[in-house]
Amino acid sequence: MASTTESPAADVAVDEQLDTDKPWIVLVWNDPINLMSYVAFVLQKLFGYSNEKATELMLDVHHKGRAVVSSGARERAELDVFRLHEHGLWATMQRDT
Amino acid sequence: MGNYATRHMMRRRNSGPFVAQRDGTYVMNLAPDVQAMLVHMFGELRDVLTTGDSNEPTLQRLFPVAYHQDPESNEEYQRLMRSELVASRLAAISRAVEVIDTATNQSPVLTSGDMSQFMQSLNAIRLLLGTMLDVSEDDELHGHSDLEDDDPRLAQHHLYAYLGWLLEASISAQMNRGEIR
Repeated sequence: MASTTESPAADVAVDEQLDTDKPWIVLVWNDPINLMSYVAFVLQKLFGYSNEKATELMLDVHHKGRAVVSSGARERAELDVFRLHEHGLWATMQRDT
Repeated sequence: MGNYATRHMMRRRNSGPFVAQRDGTYVMNLAPDVQAMLVHMFGELRDVLTTGDSNEPTLQRLFPVAYHQDPESNEEYQRLMRSELVASRLAAISRAVEVIDTATNQSPVLTSGDMSQFMQSLNAIRLLLGTMLDVSEDDELHGHSDLEDDDPRLAQHHLYAYLGWLLEASISAQMNRGEIR
């Protein structure tokens, strides 16, 4: 085992610091029920995206299975997830990697 | 552009289930029995939200997971937010029903906010019905030709398709109005 000048506890502290610096991302997942036009409309309505940007994100959801639709602080991400859930979209959040 | 073309465009603009008005409202251009059917379905959705078990598989699309990688955070999120989500859905349903019910003997008129509430409630019914019917993306491509003519699910599939058409029309009306740019 290689020696180190730092204790494990210090490593954890540094990791936690880095972890809390990472923003949260909100993802919308593909589902077979929501209309493509509805998903694009909701993204425009909630986030103020242009029609082109919202359509691009919707097509990512449709073809790739998911798309990141917003990012930021945890509280903001939770609010975004809630608003997406209000509109029936399948949205989740996680720390950015 | 000649008068004929203008009149033709006006007719086209005035057709469809939601007719945009100059004052920013929308007139719901649906037959009374269709309006009654919508009120009935909104009532059923309200019953499911108030008395149903939100952990039931058919209701899971109405109450999605928020933290898919972190069950503990998700539990905390649901504890804090689930009742708020139910309250928001119930408020949207109440408004949609009120708009239709109060328009006795005339076409319901929806404000921009009403239209949004109506659209969200309509979509919630589609989520519930689509989950019950186990709708897949293959259905969109191939339909449900495997069902016999007397299969009771056939009527539900037709209803599901009709609600999709109605939702699409509400989106088009709002897009044409420029509610969203």
